[in-house]
Amino acid sequence: MDFKKKKSELLGKIKQVKELKELEIVWKNSLKEIKKLTQNLKKISLKERKRLGKEINKLKEKLEKDYQVKKQFLQEKAKEKKEFFDITLPGKKVELGRFHPITLVKNKVEEIFQSLGFEIAFGPEIEDEWHNFDALNIPPNHPARDVLSLGKTFYLENKKLMRSHTSSVQIRYMETHHPPIKIIAPGKVFRKDAIDATHEIEFWQLEGLMVDKEISVANFKAIMEEFLKKFFEKETKIRLRPSYFPFTEPSFEVDISCVICQGKGCQTCKKSGWIEAVGAGMVHPQVLRNCKIDPREWQGFAFGVGLTRLAMLKYKIPDIRYFNSGDLRFLRQF
Amino acid sequence: MTFSYNLLKSFFKKGFPKPKELAEILTMKAFECEAPIKTGSDFILNVDVLPNRPDCYSHFGLAREISAIIRKKARLPKWKIKEERKKRVESFAKVKVFFGSSICKRYCARVIFDVKVEESPKWLKDALSACGFLPINNVVDITNFIMIYLGQPLHAFDLEKIEGKEINVRWAKKGEKILTLDDEIYELDEKVGVIADQKKPIAIAGVKGGKNSGISEKTEIIFLESANFTREAILNSTQRLDLKTEASKRFEHGTVLSLAPMALDFAAFLMQKIAKGKIAKGKIDILLEKERKRTIKFDSQKISQVLGVEISERQQLEILKNLGFKKTKKQFLEIPDFRQDILEIENLAEEVGRIFGYERIKATFPQLILAMPEKDPQVFWEKEIKEIFKAMQFTETMNYSFLPERAIALLGVPTEKTIKIKNPASFEFEILRPTLLYRILENVKKNSPFFSEIKIFEIGKIFFKEEKELIEKKALAGAILGDKFFELKGYLDTFFSRMGIVDFWFDFYKPKSEILNLKVWKESRCSEIKIGQEKVGIFGEVSQEILENFKIPEKVCLFEIDLDKLMEKIKAEQEFQPYSFYPAILRDVSIICPQKTLVDEILQILESCGGPCLIDVDLIDIYDIDEERKSLTFRLSFQAKERAIEPKEVEEIINKIFKEVEKNPCLEIRK
Repeated sequence: MDFKKKKSELLGKIKQVKELKELEIVWKNSLKEIKKLTQNLKKISLKERKRLGKEINKLKEKLEKDYQVKKQFLQEKAKEKKEFFDITLPGKKVELGRFHPITLVKNKVEEIFQSLGFEIAFGPEIEDEWHNFDALNIPPNHPARDVLSLGKTFYLENKKLMRSHTSSVQIRYMETHHPPIKIIAPGKVFRKDAIDATHEIEFWQLEGLMVDKEISVANFKAIMEEFLKKFFEKETKIRLRPSYFPFTEPSFEVDISCVICQGKGCQTCKKSGWIEAVGAGMVHPQVLRNCKIDPREWQGFAFGVGLTRLAMLKYKIPDIRYFNSGDLRFLRQF
Repeated sequence: MTFSYNLLKSFFKKGFPKPKELAEILTMKAFECEAPIKTGSDFILNVDVLPNRPDCYSHFGLAREISAIIRKKARLPKWKIKEERKKRVESFAKVKVFFGSSICKRYCARVIFDVKVEESPKWLKDALSACGFLPINNVVDITNFIMIYLGQPLHAFDLEKIEGKEINVRWAKKGEKILTLDDEIYELDEKVGVIADQKKPIAIAGVKGGKNSGISEKTEIIFLESANFTREAILNSTQRLDLKTEASKRFEHGTVLSLAPMALDFAAFLMQKIAKGKIAKGKIDILLEKERKRTIKFDSQKISQVLGVEISERQQLEILKNLGFKKTKKQFLEIPDFRQDILEIENLAEEVGRIFGYERIKATFPQLILAMPEKDPQVFWEKEIKEIFKAMQFTETMNYSFLPERAIALLGVPTEKTIKIKNPASFEFEILRPTLLYRILENVKKNSPFFSEIKIFEIGKIFFKEEKELIEKKALAGAILGDKFFELKGYLDTFFSRMGIVDFWFDFYKPKSEILNLKVWKESRCSEIKIGQEKVGIFGEVSQEILENFKIPEKVCLFEIDLDKLMEKIKAEQEFQPYSFYPAILRDVSIICPQKTLVDEILQILESCGGPCLIDVDLIDIYDIDEERKSLTFRLSFQAKERAIEPKEVEEIINKIFKEVEKNPCLEIRK
């Protein structure tokens, strides 16, 4: 009983100490007390002595440990008050991993369209003429085929080619799925061109397709406006102008109010306040027929946006060549 | 295409919009039009006439379009020609059209004699200059003017230079040649339509005139051609000869049969007025194909449904009437002959929509049954993979899919396995990449002067040929700059674990085990990544030869993984694994072994003896004792799930390990 009391008393004392000087005194006293306890051992039976002796040793160890911990803690505490510490020294450099800006834009676009119920579809980069041209109502000798195929498309062997637009995915999807259809298809496209600040031979496009019983131009406007608003995170106006694509009818060019100058007029929008950003239209009935879908029963819209162009607008990137440069001074900004 | 504002305005009596306003109207309702440019008293309009609207490749055509938009009549000026009674056209020349209507569907011509070839009057020169034509002489200028005014290309021949006074429309014979007005020689063949006299071609039909029959100052008798050449014939010629002209562009898109005689008479009228010519009586008019009247079923409801806005039938009909459509029988409309592009109801929807105004269509969300989109696992996992590499502080790059020939040679890929571009953008982009690694090494090289630490990755398609089949595969590759083999191995470990793949391991590199057998690796420091027995990738150090070639001064570690294969192996589930709350006991064990012993061999002994309570083994120290022997120190963690593990138990396991190690005479426990 006596020992147990002593033990908690000794341990308690060290615990309560608040200053270094005091600690040294308490520690010396504790050692004395231990010594006393050891001396007292002689007075008890051998069996008891053995047991208690062990206990005393354990206590001594424990006290010493507590004393050392406390000592260090109080020493640090004493230092705290007068320490000179230069917080203006530079922090340790930490490098973050980064996504390519195209991935950032693609993720964002996919997220927005998925929340609108669109599925993500894709197709091969090596295409055939049927999916890249014929099925899209661009038969041989069509003036648009002429421009696209001879001038702008990379040909491989066996009449295979590198897809020149993601519209080929529309065909691949409609050939294998029956309406209703709601898809987007982001992907790389390839065009023969002279590379400069605004032209690339390899860049990203986003295709969209929605086919149902009564999908209209009015619906297209709503979806496009919603998408652009969410994408640029600001009120974005659109306007539709007549245009021509063999695979849509009616066809239109979609201008968006300049996201750089808010329509006041700048270099990007050539002072017009509008940026040409999207080619779109109602899916041409012949395209539907080519995919064995009855145009008397189904109708819908399709659109194509330059994903690379969206990235340029969003991050104010002035030159398209940065994207394929692999330059970390560019990539580590996103 | 350039248009003269004044010339467009001349078709209207009043109410014609100002230049800037006109440009805006055209842009919003028909064709994109740049800001008008003032030149003298005129304005030039650059109008991007859409390729399906060749009817607007002329001032009259565009004026007709404007008329429908602004709802004001566009009228042609009235003219009357005076023919010479005594001399008939047939007494001057004969025309024969061969091969049915394959080259030409209508051929009209007049002869004008006693002309005076001289400089054109100022108004004519101004009109042509405004539209980008160089004035030549009054006769040629009139033909060009008619083309830009009415859209019908004409050609004027000097009749006296035509042998036999005979005009033949036929396919060229192989080997025939022609020297054109601009002094170029073209070699012709059976797919090129020509205008020929008795002996030789005197013009490439519908494309360009020959020098041998051209108008000069001495010309007195003109044979004036106004024909309708077929699109197919013209396309053949322009593609074979690589020659495009203002005339061929119009024929290529299609002109209207009724235009040929009308334009001819108007041209003759001007020749008479300006060049003082006399018009022979009658005109040649060979019609080989008749224009059929085309009708289309009108369905105002479908049009409203496509546009998504209610437009009354009356309003729709009014728009279409202004565009030249005529109501015939009930529910049918007659299509004007100049609108060859109108084939289906959707075409009418476009006409109504744009004239009505797309801005008046209110954005409305579709009313559909809500359905969550299907999620493609490939899309999900690709995103996930990118996230993991980003979390491991890698930066994502994207590179060209095309490589130069020299890259293929350097990588040692056999050429029969590579896919060539037939028409590459330049020699830098001739071959489809069979690996992502070449461009990744380029990235490392490019960035090494600016960054001491480089960790990059890319996901993209690679391409190669297998048994003549073109293969496209998705790959994941990356690089770390520096002598960091084991750092990279650690990243790959984390990556595969994170993908939920348990049975991945790193095997020795066997050259020639790959399809492409890239000469990239330092063979001693390279490993194949396997899942079960299947190889999914490779990683290791870049060979000295490649480093030298790229002029990279430091070591580089690379990896490339077949993502298509990996996707099949990914286990989707992620479940919480309960962990023990009881304390663990750590023990360090040092083993002395020959230098060539693989750590993996010893790990296997430790793990097989360790039992379920050995939860982790870390190699914490490698120490070379001498040239033959090394010492490996492992830190073993022991822990039980349901209780605190007893030190005794640990000792037992350790002893078991010691016994097992000592069975092997090459190994020794360092105590």
